[in-house]
Amino acid sequence: MTLGLPGDLARATLSRSLARAGHAAAFVALGIAIVLALLVAATGYSPAGWSAAGLVTGMAALLFLVARYPTVLFTTVYLVVGTGIVFAITTLVMNTDVFESTNNVVLALPCLALMLVGGAGAGSVNAIVWATLGYALGEGALLLGALTVGAEFMPSFAATAAFVILVVVRSFDGLSRRRNARGTTGLHDAGRQSHELAIRREYELLAIARLHDTALGHLIAISAAGSGPVDERLRSGIREDLGLIIGRDWATEPEPEPAPGAAREQASAPANAPAPANASAREPAAPAAAHAPATVRDTYPPLRHALAAARNVGLEVRITGDLDVLHALDLTRARAVDEAVAQCLVNVARHAQVAEADVALGIGGGEVTVAVMDTGVGFDVHDVPLDRIGLRTSIRARIEQVQGSVRLWSTKGIGTTIVITVPEGDA
Amino acid sequence: MNASETGERMSRRERMTRPRTIPEAHGLSGGSIRLTQQEADPIGAITVSPIVAVGAILALVLSIGLTIAHWGEVSSPLAAVLAILFVAGAGFAAARWASPARAPFTADRLWFVVTLAVGATIAEYVSTIGANRYLYDDFGPLVVGMLILSLAPYCTWKSLVAVGLVASAVLSILIVGGSAYVVTGAPTLALVVVGAAPLLSMSAAAAAYSYSVVFETLAWHREANRAVLQHDAELRSGLAHSGAPSGVSVLRREVLPFLAGVMTADRVSLADADRARELAEALRRELRAGIESTWLDDLAARLSATSDVSTTVVDPMGAAVDLREDQRSVLAALILWLGDAGRARSIRASFTTVGDHGCIVVDAELGDQVATKREIDRFVAVARAAALGAEAQSTHEQVRVQLTYRLGD
Repeated sequence: MTLGLPGDLARATLSRSLARAGHAAAFVALGIAIVLALLVAATGYSPAGWSAAGLVTGMAALLFLVARYPTVLFTTVYLVVGTGIVFAITTLVMNTDVFESTNNVVLALPCLALMLVGGAGAGSVNAIVWATLGYALGEGALLLGALTVGAEFMPSFAATAAFVILVVVRSFDGLSRRRNARGTTGLHDAGRQSHELAIRREYELLAIARLHDTALGHLIAISAAGSGPVDERLRSGIREDLGLIIGRDWATEPEPEPAPGAAREQASAPANAPAPANASAREPAAPAAAHAPATVRDTYPPLRHALAAARNVGLEVRITGDLDVLHALDLTRARAVDEAVAQCLVNVARHAQVAEADVALGIGGGEVTVAVMDTGVGFDVHDVPLDRIGLRTSIRARIEQVQGSVRLWSTKGIGTTIVITVPEGDA
Repeated sequence: MNASETGERMSRRERMTRPRTIPEAHGLSGGSIRLTQQEADPIGAITVSPIVAVGAILALVLSIGLTIAHWGEVSSPLAAVLAILFVAGAGFAAARWASPARAPFTADRLWFVVTLAVGATIAEYVSTIGANRYLYDDFGPLVVGMLILSLAPYCTWKSLVAVGLVASAVLSILIVGGSAYVVTGAPTLALVVVGAAPLLSMSAAAAAYSYSVVFETLAWHREANRAVLQHDAELRSGLAHSGAPSGVSVLRREVLPFLAGVMTADRVSLADADRARELAEALRRELRAGIESTWLDDLAARLSATSDVSTTVVDPMGAAVDLREDQRSVLAALILWLGDAGRARSIRASFTTVGDHGCIVVDAELGDQVATKREIDRFVAVARAAALGAEAQSTHEQVRVQLTYRLGD
């Protein structure tokens, strides 16, 4: 089953289908008329059958054009030429003494085909107007033909009955659509809603399952260890996975496992590599790309300053996550994050006594998160020296100015982690 | 719940939210159309159901009118009356079976109706046997044709062609039998062709209508599927960036700083251990809640939040996930319709399983605006088109709709 047609398409579709039904009946009527004409001609019952067959064939050809190209021009030509053909056939048939009046099955066939013209345009009113024209012209041709040969005229019962059926069906079709039964059931809206809810539910479940998979082990290990020094394996495990927690679209399928040895290279952005090239290399896979304002994307490569700063101070930066998530920020916020991360990386190079740092990027819950992590010497967060003014002004103040937040953890001898969170969109 | 069960439940969900691809939109394979309008566009078929009654009445009026018109040819009044009764019976059966409450209209029903109508044709032939001067005033072919035409929304084009041809064949035999008495003296073959003309024309019209409307509906459905696939991708991407608060985003905001703090600490305190335990438990709870609730719970929550209608879902096994997409649409449409415009004060949807069948019972305590049986029958008919068994009972205070479906379909 499909959900069927939406209301706005139903009118045209049902109208076309009814027109095709009429055309099918008209073709069969004309086909039967041709067979009949050939039969009576071939058996010698009425030699006029040959001419009648030719005329009806011409009418069928015109009907084909109307069915194929339902324009006003072709419809008019069909009605005009068809009327002439009905007139001609009437004179042929009524010249024989087979029938008492024009109300007979042989003349009913072309009249029926004339009435079932279908015609240009959609909708019940158009169809009824064209059918009325076809019916009236057909009956007029019968009358004229009967007068010409001096035969008795009677309206065609079959054509009249078919006309009544057509008017009833078309009127019903038009009226029933006005009652809007499709809208009343709300099937399409309900289908859309249930589909979206199912996707949301699936997304939530996958996201929580993956957060569960990633974080639960660490949480259990911490709770089981109780108070005491942090186990180095636990620390490195969290460090590995923290990037995943931050820099991952939670509900997307994990990407195929890259070739051994390639994983780290893909995720890392060596500081000595040209930053724009690195950023552009990631663009095709960017989930945030669709939402990115073209101007930001074009004019501001993600973390341009930060990567340049790291390169200048000789720091290798490993990136986890997708740089393009920064395109979810407007230019002001993207710049603020860039400058703040640049300051973080410069701080690592100056103070942490390590040659490398990790940057993890992610998006979720309406926020973009960037974490800068190092395993350097660390410092006491409650006792930041005066010369570390960059942390206060270049990082925290800059980010808070764009409604973001900065959280910092650092312990001497262990390392430093700075998490920058900025809301998506405009500042 | 272990990891494999979780994985299975999740993969079930993933399957359910994947839009059907083109080959899965059955009925449009290999260029053949095997569906009826009733299946492809159930609401459209329900909308046109009164046309069957109109066709049946027209057929009856026609049979009475033409019998009176050619009464001079009637040699057996009993057979003539019988013919009219056959027409009435065929029309009644067609109209009754085409009503939404008795959906779906099957091919068997079409053959039964046409058999009755052909019976009327035979009775009419018997009534004028030996005295039928003109075929043109016989109602038999017209009546059969009209009934076939009015049933076009409920039948495949092939069955309409087949039934039309078979009825024409029977009619031709009658024409050959009565050809000796026809005054025109035309060749018998010509009489057969003429006599079958109304029936063949109307059968062709019916088949063309059925083919066209199903073809266009499925073509639209293919386009819609493409759009849905694209929309899904955008929706999933949008969800990743969504600012809407969700369990996972809230939890992540708590887990992330906690782990970052532990990672850069030299010691874990007792408070840290307790906090880790709390977060682990919250993660488990969130996962369990995610697995146990379904899209229908979300729909009910949304309905309860946006209206005064108390909506409850009793689905301990998460069976709502197993419903096909069209079945989900029908169930959602029914619940949303009941919850709209004050039709219901409260709604309860309960899922049970009996053998290889699932059963959904939707109970609604009615509100100020009465939900008519006719309106509920629309949902029943659409549900039946979506391979759901459907029964509805309604009183002034309550509506109960019971939907059944085969598990694993």
